[in-house]
Parts: sequence; C-alpha cells; structure tokens
Amino acid sequence: MRKHGIIAWLHRTFFASPAHRFAWASVLLVITLAIAPTKDFFNEWRRNQRQYISFFSSRQDGGTLKRHYTGGIQQIWLPDLNVVDRCTTCHLGVTENTLQGAEAVPEPFKAHPPAGHDVKEWGCVVCHRGQGPATELAEAHTATRAWEKPLLPVKFIQASCGSCHHGELPEAPQLARGRELLTRLNCEGCHKLDHLETPSLGPDLSNIGYKVSRAWIYKWLKEPRTILDKDGNTTVNGYESGEESRMPQYRLNEQELLSLSAFLSVQKTRALESYKINPSVLASWSKKPDLLSQGEERFRQLMCTTCHPVAVTRAGETKLIGGNIAPELTKVGSKVQADWLVSWLHDPQGYLPHAEMPRYGWTDEELYKVSQYVMNRLTDSDLLSNVPQLGAPAAEDIKNGKKIFLEKGCATCHSLQGIPPQKDFGPDLTTMGAKNTSELDFGKSKAPNNLVSYLQTKLKDPASVNPTARMPQYSWNQADLDAVTTALLSQTGEPATSALQQLVVPKKPASFQAVGVFAAVYERYKCYACHRFNGYGGALAPDLTYEGSLARKKWIFDFLKNPQTVRPALILRMPQFNMTDKEASILAEYLSLAVQNPTVDPESVDPRQFTPAMAAAGKALYQTKYQCQSCHTIGGSGGYVGPNLNNAGNWLTPAWIEAWLRNPQALQPGTIEPRRDFTEEEIRELTAYLITLRVGITRPSPKTAANAHPIAQGNGR
Amino acid sequence: MKSKLLLIAMLICSVLCVLGLSGCKKSSAAVKLDSVSGTYDSEPDWNDGAKLIPLGYQEAQGKRLFYQYCVWCHADATPAGPSNRSNLTPVPSLINDGEKLNGESDESLLKIISLGGSAQGKSAMMPPYGKTLSPGEIKAVISFMRAIAQPAYQRPGRLG
Repeated sequence: MRKHGIIAWLHRTFFASPAHRFAWASVLLVITLAIAPTKDFFNEWRRNQRQYISFFSSRQDGGTLKRHYTGGIQQIWLPDLNVVDRCTTCHLGVTENTLQGAEAVPEPFKAHPPAGHDVKEWGCVVCHRGQGPATELAEAHTATRAWEKPLLPVKFIQASCGSCHHGELPEAPQLARGRELLTRLNCEGCHKLDHLETPSLGPDLSNIGYKVSRAWIYKWLKEPRTILDKDGNTTVNGYESGEESRMPQYRLNEQELLSLSAFLSVQKTRALESYKINPSVLASWSKKPDLLSQGEERFRQLMCTTCHPVAVTRAGETKLIGGNIAPELTKVGSKVQADWLVSWLHDPQGYLPHAEMPRYGWTDEELYKVSQYVMNRLTDSDLLSNVPQLGAPAAEDIKNGKKIFLEKGCATCHSLQGIPPQKDFGPDLTTMGAKNTSELDFGKSKAPNNLVSYLQTKLKDPASVNPTARMPQYSWNQADLDAVTTALLSQTGEPATSALQQLVVPKKPASFQAVGVFAAVYERYKCYACHRFNGYGGALAPDLTYEGSLARKKWIFDFLKNPQTVRPALILRMPQFNMTDKEASILAEYLSLAVQNPTVDPESVDPRQFTPAMAAAGKALYQTKYQCQSCHTIGGSGGYVGPNLNNAGNWLTPAWIEAWLRNPQALQPGTIEPRRDFTEEEIRELTAYLITLRVGITRPSPKTAANAHPIAQGNGR
Repeated sequence: MKSKLLLIAMLICSVLCVLGLSGCKKSSAAVKLDSVSGTYDSEPDWNDGAKLIPLGYQEAQGKRLFYQYCVWCHADATPAGPSNRSNLTPVPSLINDGEKLNGESDESLLKIISLGGSAQGKSAMMPPYGKTLSPGEIKAVISFMRAIAQPAYQRPGRLG
C-alpha cells in the first residue's frame, strides 16, 4: 500500500510504531475527557462566584460575607409554590444587609431591597418571572426557544403584586393607577378582566337627540379629545388636566361620521317635557344688564366646580380647576341645547333616570341666571367651525348609523333603548399577562418580540398591529401607558399552584345598603357620588363610614343645612342642597345612629368630667408642647394640613377626640396625623380643651360663602 | 487497516473536542439586561423639572410615603396645591435641600423622623412618626430624600 502526501505525513508522525500510536491516542482521550470539567470550570456562575470572592475579600465586611458564602450551585426549593430557583447561585448578596442600596456594589451581587416578601420564603420567579432552574445568564433572564417567559422588567414589576393581591395595595401605586384606568375607561365593556371595580359606563344615549345637535355629535365622534382645543392639538385636551376624556377616538370615515351622527341625533326615546321657567321671572331678569355676571356669581356659589372641572386662565396659564367626577363645562354652552339645560338642571333624573347629579331644587331665578351664564359665557365659537353643513338626517343615514353603532361596539359602553349591551366584544384578557410570545400576533408591527412591547404597541396604536382592529385609539401619556401595561400584565389568571391560590389576597367587598326613609334622601342628593360609606361610594369628599361616632347630630344637621368647609383651604366644597329641615334631620338621625365605628361609642365619654383647669392644661399642651397649630387652625391662625378646629366642640364627640388622639390610624388608615405618645391624662386634657372651642352657627349671606378661600384638598376630612 | 480505523477514531475525537469547546464561549454580552434592570420609578429634579432622577424600589416606596405624609410641610407645591411650609416658623427644610440635609447622617434623620423635633431639641412642629411608620418605611423616606438631594448626596466613605 503506497502512502502519499498528508496521509503519509500523518502516518509517519502518529503511527510510526505501536508506542507512538498508543501515546497519541491517550493524549487525545485525555483531552476529550477534560472538556466537560474545563467547561464546567470556566462557566458563568463559577466565574461570578470567583468575582464575588475577590469582591468581598477587599471589603471590611468581607469576614461576614465569607462566613455566609458557600460555593457551588445554590437553590431555593419551595415545592408548594413550584419554585426551583437557582438565581442565588450568581446573585450571591441578595440577603446581605450590608450590600443594600450601596452604589459601590456591582451586579449581580447587590442585595434585594427590603420588600414585603422574604426571598427565602418566596424565591425569585414568583415575582420576577424568568427561568428559575437555569444557571446561565441568557437562559435565566431572557426568552429562549425553550422558555418563553422572560424576566419581567423592573418598571412593570408591580404586575406581579397584582397577580395575588386583588384588592387595594398602597405599596403598588402604578398597579393601582393601571387598574383605575381599566375601570375608568370601562375596558371591561369589551374585554373580560379580573379583580376590577365596577366600571363606570359612558352616558346613556337614549335621549341624546334632546341634548346636543347633530353637528356636535359629528365633531365629538371625529375628535373626542380635541373638542376642547381650538388649535387642533391632538395630544392633549388643551389644558393641564388630571384626567382625560374617557371617549377614545374611533377611526371613522366621513360617511360613517355622517351616518352615526344622523342616527344618534334622532334618539329621542322618551318624550321629554321641557321645564318652563316662570314667565314673570323671565320678564324681570331677561332685561337686566348684569344678568350674566349675576349668573356667574350664582354658578360659583352653587359650587358646581366641586364636581365639574372648568378651565380658568390666570396669569396667561390655562388650567382646569375643580373636581373630576362630572363632565367638564368650559365649552358646554356650545354643546348643549338651552331648553335641555334648564330641564336637566331642574330634574336630572327626568332626563336620565340613573344620572348621578343630585336634584337640587333650585328656584326659577337660579335656573334662569345660571343657564343663561352657561349658554352665553361657557362657549367657544370655533368649536363646531370645521363641521360640514349636515342638515336634516336622511333615513338611509339613520339606518346605516345603527349598523355602525353595533359594528363599532358603541353599545359596550353606551346604552340605547332597544339595543342590548354588547358583551365580550373584544378578546378575553384574564390571562393576558401570562401569555407566551408565540401566542401573540404582531401582524405588521415591527415591535420587539416580547409581551411587554406587544401590549404597549397595541395600546398606543391598535391599528399598527392590526389595521382592521376594532379597538379605538386612546391617547396615553407614558406614565399611564406603563400603568395600564402593568395592570394587564397582572392579569395572569388562576394562580399556578394551589399553595399560591391560598395566598391570594382577595378584594374586600364593599357594601353599603341605604334603607328606609334615609335611602330616599340619600338617593335624591346622591351622597355616594362624593362620600364613601364602608368602602362604597366616591372618594372626592370625606369618608363617612364612622360619621356617627365622629360628629354630633346637631352639627350634622346644621352642616347639611349650611355646609361650611371644615378645611380652611379647600377648593372643593359641599354644595348648598337647599334641604328641608325634615330631610336634613333624617340624614343626621341616620348617620349619627347607624353609621358608627364599633369601638367608639359617641356617648361613652361624658363631657361633664372636664374642668376648666383641664382645658387650660390642654391648651398649653396644644400650643406649646405639641404645637398642634402647625397643622390645625384655630381662630384664623395655624396650618392648613388638618381640619380647622374652630368649632371642634360643636362638631366632634369627646369619645371620638379621645379615640383619635390615642390612635388616628386605627380609625382612618393612612391618615396624615401621626400616632403619638400622649399619656391618658394628656388625652383627657386635650379633649377638655378641644370641646371648649365653639363658634355660633351663623347663616352667612351667599356672598360671604362665595368669597371663602379656595384651595387644598387634604387627605380625608 | 487498523491504523486507518485509529485515524478515523482520532479525527472523530478532535471534532468532538472542537464541538464541545465551541459551546463554551456563549456570548453573554449579547443578553441585554437594560430592559430587565431599568429603573423602578423616577422623580423630576425639583430644581430642574426636565431632569428625571431614577429611583430604586426602596426610594420609590419613600417617594410614595413622602407624598402621603411629608409633602405638606417639606415641599413648596403639594398635590393639593399650596404648601403649609410658609405657615411655619422655623421654616421646614425642603426635602431636596442637600446643603442642609446632606450633612445629617441617616441615623440622626431616622431619630428626628421617629421621635419628632422636640426630642432632638428642634422645633416641636415636627411631629414624631415612629408609631405611625415602621423603621423600614422611615428609611425608605430617607433614601428618597438622598436620591433627590441637590446638591447630590455623597454617601460618607464606603460602607464596607
């Protein structure tokens, strides 16, 4: 056998003799066998552990860190939670207090910040997601072909809180904001979602034809967000506003706008009898030159802005002021019909049985002055300037309009007689936060291939993912977009294990059932629109859950007859309801008897035990030792963080004052006033002093009430 | 014949070697962790609203507590509008006032917040929060204060 070239060379070198052959074969075998241990020696986690050793040996606390350190693969194994986390193999300082928050500590050695859950009891992936058993950086943190749930970016980590904490969680404000937005925008109208509050629907449109013109409907459908902005800004409402319009933008073409506006403008389901103002009032007021300025004054006095925001320009800056629980009124005069406005103000429930606006019982004079002011001053002549001439709605348009109303899913939010609410119009999102990337359809979008970017792209511009998407266009700012993303990421369906299921913190059910004669008055004045009772109701005004323990019956009665703000610097004030004595006493009676804190019996502290000497001692404590005046006002001086105490003696029950001084947070969780180390004697002396603070109830003329100081809404009462 | 077989076996071995080692140097630099670490929350620089200061978890908890309990007297603008700060003498420090507060150690701030001003020989207008907030919560407020301090706060020496 002849041997040539390279083969010959190889043969000469390796196989010259059996000894050669054996030697070379052994060398190769050894190398092959050495591969696995070598790879193991140079792998990422060992490299990290070597770095950690050199990191702590240069530190003063190195001794402690060394004692806590054990090399090799580390693992947190929690069979109940389905946790096999090897993250601590590299994240070696996770539980070391001295590696907390210090900038000098490099990753992956930083300690976990102090959170509610201990790493040893919860592991890592329960909150952070990612692949727990992996020991390589890429596999543990990112999505791979075999693992589609990458680490949750820290920015959205509150989503994990929401997967188990279904109720309120003050530690997770971004999650709370996201849930609030999902509720406010009634996302549940189209999508199935878990653990949200009852959503607030859009306005009932059954009688919309009486309220607004077809031109206004056209404009609103086209540009719901820019309707307030004459410069055509599409990004903001034109004002610094806490809340944006809830109506999103539907991508409607000209024909659809014409049809839908035609259909809605003929919605006059129930014959609406318009309220006629007494002709003698009309005759005496219509000619007065100061009609509109008087109307404006009355508008202010009636405290409309407690619920309705209005844009106000001061020093060249336009801002929305007022509450946010009712529609904005800045340009409402260019929106609604004059007849409708008078009828609405006279009896809101006559137009919409479920309207949340109270029935105030205003006089014809008030109705006339205020409606004239609204129709003539709260206007914008440019509002409808770019709306084409629409004319009378054609039968064909009306028919098409109804079709579009259904196709676009309008009935998911708006009720209209004869059209049942549309349910499950969009996809079920109850497990959206646990979706694998492969389950997502990115369509034409160039968004990075992961769940977070899918959600954000879809929320920002639904059409970029699917050009025929039915989902309308919302205009989020970045913070709200992140909040909604967080809330959606928290929708992970049923917990993965039964142990986790047991750890779920459910939402506290809120229930308050008004009964009897109280219920009628409570319904008429819509107390729950602003006040909260046992978790039910609005958050604009003080929580009244314990009002009966807190306030004296006589004071409640007087306050209802003539609400004077308790907080000195409050812009949002309770409106004057013009209640009858009977109504006010029904409310006062019920609140003081039935709405109490079980631990504070209002009668339990007898005010007769307090002596003038005790009151004097209490005054000294108040003014010198504890300097309560830094937050509370008495007689015009003091701070305005807490309520003013001018009338504390008439307002508060001694039992409440004592209980409050002992532990404010026990009565109102989260209240600002800190719990202090008062002795029982000090508590009695302070109470003795506070109940001496009384002012006579004067019924101020409406003028002085209107001039009262605007501002600051404190937390709680 | 035998030598040929051996040759082939050795070639297979070397191929295995190369294959085995090639898996070793998986580029970990390709894993982008920015999106993973990122920042938990942020707060605008009080002296320059355009600048955002990144906040970690603890600082963000501090921010939440600050805006609930402290903002009323320790900031010039509050969520409700005006501040109670101008009402008080001595005027309370702004929480981001580094010139005044950077000099205070974490321990002394913890004491002032938990025991109140009067216990430290300062104004009794600063009430004690030690029975309302936990030490962890107070530390979170301090870490928020440190994060937004202007001029920036420098941690004294290295902890270790």
